[in-house]
Amino acid sequence: MSMVAEQRELRDDSLNGLQLSTRMDSIWRTPSGFSGALMSVDHKVVGRRYIVTAFAFLLLGGILAVLMRVQLAKPESTFLSADKYNQIFTMHGSTMMFLFAVPVMEAFAVYLVPLMVGTRNIAFPRLNAFSYWMFLFGGCFLWLSFALNVGPDVGWFAYVPLSSLQYTPTKRPDVWAQMITFTEVAALAVSVEIVVTVFKQRAPGMTLDRIPLFVWAMLVTSFLVMFAMPSIMVASTSLILDRLVNTRFYDSSSGGHPLLWQHLFWFFGHPEVYIIFIPGTGMVSAILATFARRPVVGYPVVILSLIATGFLSFGLWVHHMFVTGLPQLGAGLFTASSMLIAVPSGLQIFCWLATLWDGRPVYRTPLLFVIGFILIFVMGGLSGVMVASVPIDTQVHDTYFVVAHFHYVLIGGAVFPLIGAVYYWFPKISGRMLSERLGRWNFWLAFVGFNVAFFPMHILGLIGMPRRVYTYTADMDWAHLNLLSSGGALIFALSFALLLVNVIQSLRSGTLAGDNPWDASTLEWATSSPPPPQNFDRIPVVKHRDPLWFDTESMPVVAGLSVERREVLLTSLAEAEPQVREASPEPSIWPLLTAIATTVFFIGSIFTPWAVLWGTPPMAVALIGWFWPAGHKEDEE
Amino acid sequence: MTDTERHTKLLYWAGVALGPLAWGINLQGIYTLAHFSCESTRFSGAIMSAVLAGIALAGTAISARAVRRGAGAEWSDAHGGGPRTFMAWLGVGSGVLFALVIADQLAASLLISPCLR
Repeated sequence: MSMVAEQRELRDDSLNGLQLSTRMDSIWRTPSGFSGALMSVDHKVVGRRYIVTAFAFLLLGGILAVLMRVQLAKPESTFLSADKYNQIFTMHGSTMMFLFAVPVMEAFAVYLVPLMVGTRNIAFPRLNAFSYWMFLFGGCFLWLSFALNVGPDVGWFAYVPLSSLQYTPTKRPDVWAQMITFTEVAALAVSVEIVVTVFKQRAPGMTLDRIPLFVWAMLVTSFLVMFAMPSIMVASTSLILDRLVNTRFYDSSSGGHPLLWQHLFWFFGHPEVYIIFIPGTGMVSAILATFARRPVVGYPVVILSLIATGFLSFGLWVHHMFVTGLPQLGAGLFTASSMLIAVPSGLQIFCWLATLWDGRPVYRTPLLFVIGFILIFVMGGLSGVMVASVPIDTQVHDTYFVVAHFHYVLIGGAVFPLIGAVYYWFPKISGRMLSERLGRWNFWLAFVGFNVAFFPMHILGLIGMPRRVYTYTADMDWAHLNLLSSGGALIFALSFALLLVNVIQSLRSGTLAGDNPWDASTLEWATSSPPPPQNFDRIPVVKHRDPLWFDTESMPVVAGLSVERREVLLTSLAEAEPQVREASPEPSIWPLLTAIATTVFFIGSIFTPWAVLWGTPPMAVALIGWFWPAGHKEDEE
Repeated sequence: MTDTERHTKLLYWAGVALGPLAWGINLQGIYTLAHFSCESTRFSGAIMSAVLAGIALAGTAISARAVRRGAGAEWSDAHGGGPRTFMAWLGVGSGVLFALVIADQLAASLLISPCLR
């Protein structure tokens, strides 16, 4: 046997302890320096970047929200012009939905799912790196356009005919539409990675009914993304085509139809709400189990709820279109679905309450945010059942009642669990604890600020204040509630400033976390904080739904994986039985270069159709470079 | 694996598959039938909903049968480790839940005239 062949035989069962850790670290570590950073395919590095970038966009979107509330705090304010206000509310909605809410949930999944299922890297790690660069470039494209006064001003839904060339002859809608393409490409890529990681890279023994609830939530979310996002990509691309080469998909004078836009948009737009909410429920389940000191009550019921919510979310989109004159029978069907989706959500709420009831809850900051989530989300759900009814929706459509409703659902349903998740997983990601004292201040400011900001909007809507108005006259009697709402918004903004202070302070001088500071049960806590590049020296074997609570002494592991190249273990879909050792890609600059080429293609194509022609060769070159066998160990059989 | 074993395994998934499928067909089907319902048989949508609710419940029944045959030996709640029985339980719940949604839509099709625009 040659020396090379002998080397390839070296497996992790030949090494132990520090020797094994050092060896694995050297194989999986991202190369140092600036170029190394650009080449990284480590899911933790990419996940951290995703999280930080998404929170940067949250900060920007939040600043816009504060600007809007300052403008609306008093009647006939001249703080913002009508044009700037239109751009700002469009940028706020687009940033929060496309650059914060969806990406941040996927970001947490990119970081956590491989750790929670006990593998060493996400599936398709180079695609993962590519998706991050696409997200970053798409977000920067939108915000640079805004800085250059070309920010979109047609709402986050860009309804036609307003967004058609005839009514908006600037590049603003094109910027919006192409930003969608960027972010959806990124989201689709991550979804594919999550699905494959969960289905094929779970640790041996992690059968379908031992998968952590957060991972289940991300699996369902990924399927939602894969089925919903193509609809908005078709819509945004056809809008660009309408505007650039007169395809007339939405021009009723030429056989097109503006309602087609609404159908395509909301076929994506309503599942989008659940794409944001379902990961939040996964976070809630993870946090609740840890701080209630018992597994979540009704594990199969929670998963049934997640799956049912995922399916039903595709049958609700018409409730956004009740005032467009659709057949009443159709509206009735969508009312039925919209009300019935409250059933699986309600089942989950009861499971969580039962978990708290039956557990021994420890009220740390993450659990406070979960309790805040339950209270706020239930209120949002109740107003959701109201607007699911055609007669009520017809009355309150396009009023501030709807603004209040969806902020209760989205902030309550996603942002509160997310901030709870930041407090919960920050020790794992950074190795340091966040301050509990600042955390409690953070929670109460957020909870009080949020309710003061958004509850009055219900009343404003009911007394007739329409959405998307940049000002109002003093005789409308809306001033006091608007002032109250603006005050609440400032308190809410302050809570995020406090979170930022807490994070910075903790990174500088926070208490060291240790491997499992919360005594949690899932696999991400079985490794060090922050985790090493290889995640686990040896892949764990799972024998229980809560492995760290069950295997208290030492966790069984798999041995026999290579210590000569990056390797992951593929397992069967249902039973997670080991099937094959698979090479995992090494760092590469090509995902970044492909993203740059794609960015040039995308941005060029809103200016000239020729960009499709001259933009394709660089992408082809980049992709060839990406997949070209380079003689690395990953290419060996 | 024999054909019988393979067949038995597939049946575990019946409720998970049939419930959402029946509901999807119901949602689109009543729309498709609306014009016909208005002009001739008003109850065509309701009949279709009733049949599809039955299909969703049939999924529940098949999954329940699989649970009865395979449960206990394979699955204990806290430990996990019995994915097929687990999915069969999901099938039981899924069939019932989607039958409920279809029944709600059936009520809508009984209450609202398909001719109403």
